[in-house]
Amino acid sequence: MQDWRQNKLVFGVLLLPPTAWLVLFFTLPLAIVWVYSFGKRGPLGETLLAFSFDNYLRAIEWINLSILLKSTWIAAVTTALCLLVGFPLAMGIAFSPGKYRNVLLLLVILPFWTNLLIRTYSWIAILRTRGYVNMTLEWLHGKLDALLGLFGAAGALGKFQPLELLYNENAVIVGLVYVHLPFMVLPLYATLEKLDKSYLEASLDLGAGQWRTMFSVMVPLSLPGIATGTLLVFILSLGTFLTPDLLGGPDSIMIGNLIAQQFGQARDWPFGSALSFLLMYATFIFLWLKAVISRREGGVSY
Amino acid sequence: MATTAAAGETAVKSVMRRRKRDRATPLEYGRKGWVQLVMVASFIFLYFPIVALIAFSFNDSKRNITWQGFTLKYYVQAFNNASLHEAFINSMIIASWSTVVSTVLGTMLGLVLHRFQFPGKNAFDSWVHLPIVIPEISLGVAMLAFFARIGMPLGLVTVTVSHIAFSIPFVAVVVRSRMSGFDRSLEEASRDLGANEWQTFWNVTFPYMLPGVVAGALLALTLSLDDFVITFFTSGPGSTTFPVKIYSMVRFSVTPEVNAASTVLIVVTLALTVIAMLIQSRTGKQTVGHG
Amino acid sequence: MTRSASSRFSRRNFLRGAGIAAVGLSFAGTARRGWSQEERKLNVYNWDTYIGEATLSTFTERTGIEVQYDLYANNEELFAKLQTGNPGYDVIFPSDYMVATMIAKNMLMELDHSKIPNMANIDPDPNFSDPPFNPGLKYALPYMWGTIGIGYRKSAVETPTSWAAVLDSSEHSGRIALLADMRAVIGLALKYLGYSMNSTNEEEIAQARDLLIKQKPHIKTFAEDNGQDLLLSGEVDLCMEWNGDIVSAMQEDDDLSYVVPQEGGMVWIDNACIPTGAPHPENAHAFLNFINDPEVNAEIANTIRFATANKAAKEFINPEDLANPAIYPAAETIAKSEALIDVGDFTPVYDRAWTEIQAA
Repeated sequence: MQDWRQNKLVFGVLLLPPTAWLVLFFTLPLAIVWVYSFGKRGPLGETLLAFSFDNYLRAIEWINLSILLKSTWIAAVTTALCLLVGFPLAMGIAFSPGKYRNVLLLLVILPFWTNLLIRTYSWIAILRTRGYVNMTLEWLHGKLDALLGLFGAAGALGKFQPLELLYNENAVIVGLVYVHLPFMVLPLYATLEKLDKSYLEASLDLGAGQWRTMFSVMVPLSLPGIATGTLLVFILSLGTFLTPDLLGGPDSIMIGNLIAQQFGQARDWPFGSALSFLLMYATFIFLWLKAVISRREGGVSY
Repeated sequence: MATTAAAGETAVKSVMRRRKRDRATPLEYGRKGWVQLVMVASFIFLYFPIVALIAFSFNDSKRNITWQGFTLKYYVQAFNNASLHEAFINSMIIASWSTVVSTVLGTMLGLVLHRFQFPGKNAFDSWVHLPIVIPEISLGVAMLAFFARIGMPLGLVTVTVSHIAFSIPFVAVVVRSRMSGFDRSLEEASRDLGANEWQTFWNVTFPYMLPGVVAGALLALTLSLDDFVITFFTSGPGSTTFPVKIYSMVRFSVTPEVNAASTVLIVVTLALTVIAMLIQSRTGKQTVGHG
Repeated sequence: MTRSASSRFSRRNFLRGAGIAAVGLSFAGTARRGWSQEERKLNVYNWDTYIGEATLSTFTERTGIEVQYDLYANNEELFAKLQTGNPGYDVIFPSDYMVATMIAKNMLMELDHSKIPNMANIDPDPNFSDPPFNPGLKYALPYMWGTIGIGYRKSAVETPTSWAAVLDSSEHSGRIALLADMRAVIGLALKYLGYSMNSTNEEEIAQARDLLIKQKPHIKTFAEDNGQDLLLSGEVDLCMEWNGDIVSAMQEDDDLSYVVPQEGGMVWIDNACIPTGAPHPENAHAFLNFINDPEVNAEIANTIRFATANKAAKEFINPEDLANPAIYPAAETIAKSEALIDVGDFTPVYDRAWTEIQAA
C-alpha cells in the first residue's frame, strides 16, 4: 500500500470524482433529511424549517415507539426462523460431495436474483382466503368429510373455515423469511465450508454423539458466519417496507411503512425525517454491536 | 515415506468407500435423513411461489383464483401494454447509464481504497460503505427530499442519479476485493523494465482488475434493474420503471397480466445473471492461466 | 504546410457548416413547435377503474395525442404528489373538497372555457354548474358523482342497516374492509356518531379516532380502492366502498349488493382539472373537451357505472343504470348524506388522527 503523498496526482484523480458524487447525492440528501427532522409541518403539509425536537419526542411516543418495537420483534422472529431453517440447509450443502455443492448453492441463490416485489407478491396467491393453501385444505377437508361419510359421520367436521393467512403479522414474517433466507444461508455456508473438519472428527472420536458435536463444536466454530447472517437478515428485515405493505394488515405496520406514509399521504416530512433517522441510528447500533462482538471473538471478521 | 503412506491411506479409503457406499460417514451431513428433509422442504419453499406465479401467468381467468385453462393472451396484453413498454425502456435506459457511471466511479474508488494509505482512511472507508447498510427507505426519502429542495423535477435523471449513488459502493467493494489478490511486485517489475505509469496500469493492473470490474458492473446492472424502493420515491410520470409499474399493477388491477409481466422480468434478470456467470468463469479461467 | 492549411480550412468549414445547420435546425424546430403546438403527449393521473374502456384509445385516434395514464388511491396521495411541484401531470381528478384545497394553494390552472365548448353539456343544476368549491367552473369541470356506502355479500351477511356493521361491530370480524381514504373513513365515523363529517371539533374527532381504533382488530385491511376486488375474491364480506365500484362488481357476481346505511352516507363529486405547471395545457384542454362529448361521457359512465354530471350524456346511458338507485340515488338518500368540505387549517388534526389510527 502506498502513502498518498507518493503519488498525489493519481490519488487525487481516483479519489475526487466518486467522493464528489457521494457527497452531493448521498451525504447532502441525508443532511437535508436531518435538518428536516428538526423542522415543523405547515398546515397543509409543507415543511417549515425550525429548530425543534418535537418530531423526535413524537417518535418516541408510545404509539410510534410501539411500531419500532413491533418491527424489531418481527425482524427478530424472522432472523430466528431464517437461522433455524438456514443452518441445516447450509450444513447440508457444505458437507455435500463437491460436485453437488455448487449446484445446490446456485439453487439457493437463484430465487434471490428475481425481483423482491415479485417474490413478495407471489405469496398473496398462496396465502389469501382463496389461495393455494386454503384451497388445498378445503379439498382435504372435502375428502376427509367424504371418508367420514362412509362411516356415517358426514358433516362431523362442520363447514370449512379458511385460515386467515394473509394481511397479518404472520404473512409478513413468512414473506420476510422467504426473501431473506439466502442472506442467512450464504455466510453460514462460507463459514461451514472453511471449517476444520478435524475438530468434528476429534469430537466424534472422543465419544460425543452427533447432536452434542453439532451443538458444542460446530455451532460455536461457525459463530462468525452466524453473526454475519443474523446481522444481515435482522437489519434488512427491520427496515423493510415492501413486504408489510403487500402482505401485512392493519396490525402489522412496520417502521418502514410509517416513514413512507409520512412522505406520502400523511404529508408530514419533518416527522418522517425524524423516524428515518431513528431507523438509521438503530441500524448503526446493531452494526456497532456486531463489530464489538466480532472484535471480542478474536478478530475473526467477515 | 509420507507419500507412500498417504497413497496407501487413499487406497484403503477408496476400498472402504466402495464397500460402504450406502452408509454415510458421520460428517456427511448432506446425506443424513433429517438434513435432506430440511433441504428438500427448503427448496420447495424457495421455488414454489415463483413457479406458481409463472404457471398462473398462463391462466385463462381474469380473477386468477382457480385454474381455468391455458392461454397466452395475458402475455399478448402485457406486450401490447404501452405503459409497460415505456416502463421497460425506462428501466433499460436508467440501468445502462447507472451501470456505466457507477462502474467507472466505483472502480476508481475501489482502486484508491486498495492502493493508498491516507489520513482519515478508516472514517472515509466507513462513510463510503454507508449506502450499503442504510435502510433503503431512509435513502429513498432522503433523495426525494433532496430533489424537492433543489427544485429538480422527478424524472429519468433523478432516478439515474440515485441509482448511481447507491451502486458506487457495491462496485468499489467488488473491485477492491478482487484487487486484494493482486501482486504489486508485478507493477514494480513493469516499472523497472521501463514502462511508465499509464503503460503499467493498462498492461499489468487493468487486465487483472477486469473480472472484478465486470462483476461490479453486472452487480450495478442488477441492482438498478431490480430496484424498487428508491425508484419509487424518485420517479415521476414518464419515468416509471418496470418494477414500479408492476407495483402499481399489483396495487390496483390484479389480473394474470401482472404475472406475465413479472415472468418477463424474472426471465430477463436470470438471463443477465447467467451471462454474468459465464463471463466471470471464462475471464476467471483466463486470468488464472496468465497468473 | 499545404496539408495543415487545407486541413485547417476544411475543419473550419466543417465547423461553420455544422453551426449553420444547428442554428437552422433549432429555428425549424421552434417554427414547427411555435406557441400553440405541444409535444403530442398527455399525462393523466386518475383514480383506478375510472375511465371508459375505449376512452383513451379513441382520444389518441382522434387527436394523435399519446396518453400516459397513472393511478392514485385517494385525494391525499394525489395532493402529496403535487405538493412539492407538479412532477409532470396534465389532467387530475380531485374530489370536491380537494379542489377547494388546491385552489387555495394555487395548484390548479384557470380553465380557458373557450377551448372547452362541450362544457355546455354539463348539468345546469347549480350543484354541478356553480358549486361553492369551484364557482363558475373556473378551475375544474365536474366529472362523475356518487355516494360511499357499504358493499356486501348477500349470502354471507344480513343487509347492513347502519354503519355499525363495519365501524362498530365484532360480528364478521376479519371479513370487513374499510377504505384507505382518510376523510372518508374518519368522516363516516363522525357521521355514525351523529356529528358532521366536516367537524372541526377536536373532541369529536378524537371520539371518531377511538371508535376506529377499537374497530381495527376486526378489520381485515384498509383497501386502497380495491374493496370490490376483495369482495369478489371472497376475502371480505363487507366493505366501505364507492357505489360505482360495487355496481361494477355486481355485474360479475350477483351475490353482491350495495346500500347506503340509515345514518346517511357520503356524497361526492369528482372533478377534472389541470394542475399548474402542466407540460401540455393545450392537450389537457382538448382532453377535458373530449370527455364532455355526450357519447364519450356516456361510454365512460356505462363502463364504470358511476353517475355522470354531464346532462347531454344521459341520452346514451343504459336506461337500467339511470333507474338504478345505487348509481343515481333517490333524493332522500342524498338529503341525509353529506359532502366533504375543505377544513383548511384543521386538516393536520385529521392527518394526525389518521396516522394514529394506522399506527395503533
